[in-house]
Amino acid sequence: MKILIANRGEIAVRIIRACREMGLRTVAVYSDCDRTARHVREADQAVHIGPSEAAQSYLRIDAIVEAAQTTGADAIHPGYGFLAENAAFARACQDAHLIFIGPSADAIALMGSKTAAREVAVRAGVAVVPGTEKPLDEDVGDDEIARIATSVGFPLLVKAVAGGGGKGMRTVADAAALASAVRTARSEARSAFGDAAIYLERRLVRPRHIEIQLLGDHHGTVVPFVERECSIQRRHQKVVEESPSIAVSSELRRRIAAAAAAVARAVNYSNAGTIEFLVDESGSFYFLEMNTRLQVEHPVTEMVTRMDLVQWQIRIARGEPLDIDPADALSANGHAIECRIYAEDPDLGFMPSPGLIRGLRPASGPGVRDDGGVSVGYSVPVFYDSMIAKLVTWGGSRRQAIDRMSRALREYQVLGIKTTIPFFLWLMQQPEYMAGQYDTTYLDRLLVDRKGDSFNELTASDEEVASIATALDAYLRASVHAGTPGAESTTHWKRAARLEALRG
Amino acid sequence: MTFAVEINGRSRTISIERATADRYRVIVDGHVQLIDAKRVGSFGLSLLFAGADRSSREVQVAPAGPPGEMLVGIDGKSVTVVLNGRRTGRGAAEGSAHARGEQTVVAPMPGRVVRLLVTGGDEVIARQPIVVVEAMKMENELRSPKAGRVKEIVVKAGESVEAGRVLAVIE
Repeated sequence: MKILIANRGEIAVRIIRACREMGLRTVAVYSDCDRTARHVREADQAVHIGPSEAAQSYLRIDAIVEAAQTTGADAIHPGYGFLAENAAFARACQDAHLIFIGPSADAIALMGSKTAAREVAVRAGVAVVPGTEKPLDEDVGDDEIARIATSVGFPLLVKAVAGGGGKGMRTVADAAALASAVRTARSEARSAFGDAAIYLERRLVRPRHIEIQLLGDHHGTVVPFVERECSIQRRHQKVVEESPSIAVSSELRRRIAAAAAAVARAVNYSNAGTIEFLVDESGSFYFLEMNTRLQVEHPVTEMVTRMDLVQWQIRIARGEPLDIDPADALSANGHAIECRIYAEDPDLGFMPSPGLIRGLRPASGPGVRDDGGVSVGYSVPVFYDSMIAKLVTWGGSRRQAIDRMSRALREYQVLGIKTTIPFFLWLMQQPEYMAGQYDTTYLDRLLVDRKGDSFNELTASDEEVASIATALDAYLRASVHAGTPGAESTTHWKRAARLEALRG
Repeated sequence: MTFAVEINGRSRTISIERATADRYRVIVDGHVQLIDAKRVGSFGLSLLFAGADRSSREVQVAPAGPPGEMLVGIDGKSVTVVLNGRRTGRGAAEGSAHARGEQTVVAPMPGRVVRLLVTGGDEVIARQPIVVVEAMKMENELRSPKAGRVKEIVVKAGESVEAGRVLAVIE
């Protein structure tokens, strides 16, 4: 079996690793700016599919299907993002007799509409967050929306029907702010998803974002996994995920998992998917949406269940039955935390910081997993999401996982671009985070309270060490140029290298 | 050799002399230390401080782009360091004049100006958001590099900008 990976970055590398372990051949696809990307170099074959703009490369269904046919691939793994939740892509694979490693096109289409997905949940007996049942298309006017908003209740969220990843989403505190929020949400949704339809949803007080990973095979078996806690979000985007959640008792876990499985069974779901819930302070939970693909944060589930979800995706797509003990899937061994490392400058309001990576030394050692997608000499492009790696730590307890994360973040060296590592170092030390006392609004509130203080503040002694190192670096460079004694060791090496070359 | 090194607005005068093979006599603002320094990899420096505590520190020093600016990594944090020049006096004077004078808000990547948050003549504080630029499908707030007055906003809302384009001047 040969698998084409219709994606890039860390997830393409992650999937290649699973294929290698299973003895399967891999095909990478790449755009102009990704010629030297890791996924291209690590795959067995690679096909150029177009210019750097995603719309002309990683979103080109025809080019990707053609690449699969040219290389004789049997299956396509879409990863996450790009075409992963595009029903037309799943259909195009089917029409070309390629196995799509994911759910059916019908399930993608159905659950991809947030409003249709809510109806499915209600039919399966699962509570949904109070909100509008039908999409509000562009022709629904401000007065009509204001009337509906009053019945939903404030505060509320304006969300894109085709949305995801926090795009096209706005929080509205009161009626006065509604019209402008609807306008910006529609315009963001139109540019990100090509669909300006929105819906309204009540904003719960201090909710936690809890989600259930599940796998379904082609023989009617659906297995839900122990929950992931994804409440650490910045502007509705997850930045830290963990498993299990300290807010979920084993009794609540059983109930949420059963609800998730009921929704999945209602749509004959197969392959990997995730059902997201909001859980309020009383432990009541509400269906939020279903992601019909592998999630960014799947490694935390793998770390605590010791299962390989990507390998299961491939086995399910090949028609194998799920032979997982449901009790194993639902129980966590220890605790795992993931930090999404972005090429962003946390000191400039998390502004993207693309550019050349001059040095890279990922963290390693006990309980550390680095799902990276970049390497030295690669330039992080401006065209795509700027995540460069996911750093995951495992510990026998949550505290050990946090301490390991702090240790691993200090080990992790990325040179040439700014990253969110200093931000995570700070977050891991926050008392509320360490105590597990947070909800989906926690991080945004915390960041407002910091009033833009630098995450890279050094102690006076570290500042002195950094100053000395910079001066020594300049001194050593000057010595090399001047041929002074400081250059000695360098010239020795050069002479040795030349001799080596002559011998060869 | 003497250097003026500036981090977060704090400048230090550092003199370096070679003592023995890999040992250097380093004088920071008059305070003398003996440091064993070795290069590790292209950008790493391993420093062993010969003082009583025998500290071992590893620091990454890489060019940051503009001449004289280095990006320095230490224990997971990363700071921009301005190296004013090989000799004291000349470079140090230039560096501080630059910090006092006009600074610009520059687009770090291609994008579209979504909103202007200030107008010409406004007083701003350091890190105050100045313009919102949409790039990588996200809206990003570009902030003022220093406290001062907005001398000029060079772009209009809706305009597309290239990486490196000056958007505003703060004086």
